[in-house]
Amino acid sequence: MMRKLANIVLLLAAVSLCYGLQASKPRYGDLIGPIPARGNLGDTVVGRGFEVRAETVEFARNLKVDRFGDSKVLTTGGIWAVVTVEFAARAQSTTVAVASWRGRTGLTYDQTERLSFADGLLPVAVDPGLPKKARLIFELRADEVSDATLLVSEKLMSALDSQAEISLGPVAIGPDGLPPGTVDTLDMTQPI
Amino acid sequence: MPGWPAHRAERKWCPRMLENAGSRLKAWLVAGIGTAAAIAAAGVMGAFGARHEPMPVLAPASRIETGQWLLRPLKAYSADGENLYGVPLKPGAKALVVELEMTNRTAKSTKDYFDVLQANQATIDPATKPFIALTRDSTLSPELHPGMPEKMAYIWQLPDGATLPAKLELTVVRKTYKQRDNLYGLPGWFNPAPVGRLTLPVGRGPDTADIQP
Repeated sequence: MMRKLANIVLLLAAVSLCYGLQASKPRYGDLIGPIPARGNLGDTVVGRGFEVRAETVEFARNLKVDRFGDSKVLTTGGIWAVVTVEFAARAQSTTVAVASWRGRTGLTYDQTERLSFADGLLPVAVDPGLPKKARLIFELRADEVSDATLLVSEKLMSALDSQAEISLGPVAIGPDGLPPGTVDTLDMTQPI
Repeated sequence: MPGWPAHRAERKWCPRMLENAGSRLKAWLVAGIGTAAAIAAAGVMGAFGARHEPMPVLAPASRIETGQWLLRPLKAYSADGENLYGVPLKPGAKALVVELEMTNRTAKSTKDYFDVLQANQATIDPATKPFIALTRDSTLSPELHPGMPEKMAYIWQLPDGATLPAKLELTVVRKTYKQRDNLYGLPGWFNPAPVGRLTLPVGRGPDTADIQP
């Protein structure tokens, strides 16, 4: 009887141990996830293959772009955020292809795909010793502009590779629900 | 070989036989209870609910939730292929267009909307994949961003000489979020399953009035 009871206790202990291991171990996704390199607006954030420095953040209601020689105004249901960044490669030439805007609530906005034809957008090829400027353009809800994080990585599945995480800091929101510095139309045809 | 009752009849009664019968009964009982418990568990887990229920009919003037998307059907119409949101159709081809407002309900930008609407129409070959365009500036299949409603147009090219239908029947498909998929343990949207059937009247030309404001 005692033996049986002891067996049952042992079994239960093993089950709870296994469950505890399963529940507490990091998941595969966490293990192979990107490795963050953190910084603030204006800092140079150094990753494994590239460096990035976010210079300015601008907000606009519309963007003016050139498409095949025509001027075109791109509207949005939210607000455009344009981040001007400077990239540099470290030891060898590389390509930086992916950027997202993570709002305060965790909503993640990928770079817009509506300007695929414009200059100075990702993907950007960078070479060591030749820093290059680029624009990261996002289409956001206006309530996601404040305390956001800019995520930049070389490729989409940046498993076990660096991802720059740049805190963009608080942004005041005006009475119209937009940041006070929001311009009506931002000209993307201007050189960066 | 003698059958077992005859074989048994040859044996003399002894108390051990009763014990044998008792253990046999016990074994039968245990097996029976086990089976019943298994069937009951399968029933509770929904094994018998998987038969084909008739698909719900979705009201055209409603909001349809599909897991990742919130859909608001606006209009369906047939049109010539020219100037149809910049979509590369064959010259002279006609197309069926469904316009709807889509809102990304997830936390990430995504373009996982290719299977959301499936045309059941006899005039549309099921293998024909629609072009999906943002009506705002005719971008073909852009990512849509969390919480930002956008008007999208699904455009099916019709085969030459197809008759234009008066009604378009669509199956709306949803997916289910899994925190960890079975292969990589990564989160994602899986298991497409129909939400219901949506029937839209087909107007003529892009000026067709919206179904709902």
